[in-house]
Amino acid sequence: MNLENRKRELVKEFSPLLLKSSNLSKLWMGFLVLVILVGIYAFFVQLFNGHIVTGMRDNVVWGVYIINFIFFVCLSYSGAFIGGVLHFFKTPWKNSVSRIVEITTVLSLIIGPIFILLCIGRLDRLHYLFMYPRIQSPITWDIIAIMTDLIGCFIYLYLTFVPDFAILRDNSEGMPKWRQKLYKFLAIKYQDTPSQREKLHKITRTMSAMIIALAIVAYSVLAWIFSLTLQPGWNSSIFAPYFIIAGLYSGAAVIIIAMYLIRKYFKLEHYIRKIHFIGAGVVLLILSLLYGYFTFSEYFSRWFSHKIHDAELLDTLFSRYFWKFILANYIGILVPIAILFFKKLRNIKTITIAAVIAVLGLWLNRYLIVVPTLETPYLPIQDTREEFIHYSATWVEWSLSFAGIAAFILFFMLLMKLVPIIPMSGIIDNERDGKKLKRKK
Amino acid sequence: MKNFKFSILVVLVGLFTYSTGFAQDENEVKNFRMLYKLSTLKQADGSRILEVSFIARHKKDRKNKVPVFDAEINFYNETEEDNILLGTVKTDKKGFARLTIPSSQELIYDTEGYINFIAEFEKTDALKRQKKSIAVKELFLDLNLEEIDSVKTVQLKAYTLDSINNQLPITELDAVFSVKGMLSNMPIEEATIEDGEYEFEFPTDISGDAEGIVDVRVFIEDHDDFANVIQEKTVNWGTINEVKSIEENTLWSDAAPIWMYIVLTILLVGIWANFIYTIINLNKIKKEGAELELNTEES
Repeated sequence: MNLENRKRELVKEFSPLLLKSSNLSKLWMGFLVLVILVGIYAFFVQLFNGHIVTGMRDNVVWGVYIINFIFFVCLSYSGAFIGGVLHFFKTPWKNSVSRIVEITTVLSLIIGPIFILLCIGRLDRLHYLFMYPRIQSPITWDIIAIMTDLIGCFIYLYLTFVPDFAILRDNSEGMPKWRQKLYKFLAIKYQDTPSQREKLHKITRTMSAMIIALAIVAYSVLAWIFSLTLQPGWNSSIFAPYFIIAGLYSGAAVIIIAMYLIRKYFKLEHYIRKIHFIGAGVVLLILSLLYGYFTFSEYFSRWFSHKIHDAELLDTLFSRYFWKFILANYIGILVPIAILFFKKLRNIKTITIAAVIAVLGLWLNRYLIVVPTLETPYLPIQDTREEFIHYSATWVEWSLSFAGIAAFILFFMLLMKLVPIIPMSGIIDNERDGKKLKRKK
Repeated sequence: MKNFKFSILVVLVGLFTYSTGFAQDENEVKNFRMLYKLSTLKQADGSRILEVSFIARHKKDRKNKVPVFDAEINFYNETEEDNILLGTVKTDKKGFARLTIPSSQELIYDTEGYINFIAEFEKTDALKRQKKSIAVKELFLDLNLEEIDSVKTVQLKAYTLDSINNQLPITELDAVFSVKGMLSNMPIEEATIEDGEYEFEFPTDISGDAEGIVDVRVFIEDHDDFANVIQEKTVNWGTINEVKSIEENTLWSDAAPIWMYIVLTILLVGIWANFIYTIINLNKIKKEGAELELNTEES
């Protein structure tokens, strides 16, 4: 079949995803907008009344916001890492998941840092971070890392979009004019000539390697925000690799959930197949084993050291936070392992269930890293009020948290309206490579 | 007295604890020899310290020494007629009892010009009476620190006073000059004083405190007539050491360590160079596409 015809055919196949919205989809988007609006209202309540409307006080100065921040940022880094690995090593089944991974990466890196802004008591002094940066502060490292990573991820995402933008530009008859103009602008006159293709592949490959390195650095910096303090529960030499593994674990799980939802609601069974879920499930299994090993090492060394403050923290974890601890570190790790370990149990639904458990467990694990540690400080705060010591999130914090999740899903859906979730250029490349192989044979 | 009995008990318990190699009877007081010493030191301000050291030493195992704690020592100024009680002090945990006699205290001299001190421990149920005496002459040390012809000079005048307060210079007196340090004194000159006077040039390389201040002292040690005498003066003759600021990564430091700037710069330059390289290539792709479009339109 002629290449241009094949491109036209693919555009025709994917254009309902881009142009049409079902009633259910519209309703869902409306609901997401509503959740975001409630979040915006909560934001203004917090802005005008201060942090008193949250559960954060003198002792627990970080709460659900920072947990969401870590969660989203780690999700992004893991997306970048996985995306980079898929592209760099030319993984055979990458085409079906790569765009999900790339969109997840960029969106979570946009949503995540918003949560850290919500933690800041004096937002009017935010610009001081840039005016008076302290290079010796891990917070400054994190700002630099996140901004650099965000730009890197944007460039990488754009590079992977360019060939599809070109295909859409060349086959946009019947589409609204603004779309045609947008595709024309974004396609930067890409004609898929061998020379252009070679250049694009080269820079995408370099960027994918860069993204992997950048993700590792940024991950480590994020972990160091905690581990470079003397706080019991945070001061750990394995925190950086632990964060990397935990991030990859959550990343792989979120990608599986996204794959499941996209496959089901956009009827892409032809492209996102069981084999992709099995592959992702095996990756999740390896990561869950590694994550379990790191979690065990972390808590075991704390328990064995018998240091007073560590013992106090463990007491808190095994008394006040007993069920959360069990859910995060037993159910959240052992159940996914149990599901994914046995070949017979591995199917699309069970793998997705394992992924959901992993995500929830990991979010709770983050909660246990942040809140109980702050409730058992290294230097006790004198004359603090009893109600300041223990933290519980308020409706404002929950509203903003759900608004963040809603924004992530909404933007994901909007981006899916801009470019097909399955890269058309990838399909063509695969077919082209297949033909080459046949010719060789 | 009750207290003292208790002290003896403490001593015995101590003996038992410290000499586990001995049989129980070995730890009895009778197996110990009492080392009872009296010494005196005249201080720079003219006051005098009388010090008693009261230690029990095992007769066989001479390394086994136990201080006698809480023993009451009476200090006297011995005169021909009577002994004048100067004060009573109990021994501390190290077995020392110290009495400071202020310079204003009038002391009785004997006919030869000596002051006789007695330190006495009265007999108890467990321990024998102990008594030591010491006779010292009053020595006066005038320490003068002066710059003579731009030379920092240390001058010392040593003398005694006769009955009508005439100064009698001292001959053949060994003295050690030193500079006071944080933990110990650093000797700067060892001298024998002839005709009651001695002078020397102060070294120029002695470091002082933040303002260059040093404490210069002269020490007469264990002299047969004068016992121990110290005189000292403060002067700003020391060199001022610049405090080297060590570059530490602290919350309040002005700047981060250099290695941090280097690592960060390398990382950022490496990453941004790649970003720029990517953008340049995207531009090339765009240019190529534009040329292709132009060619297509022309043809």
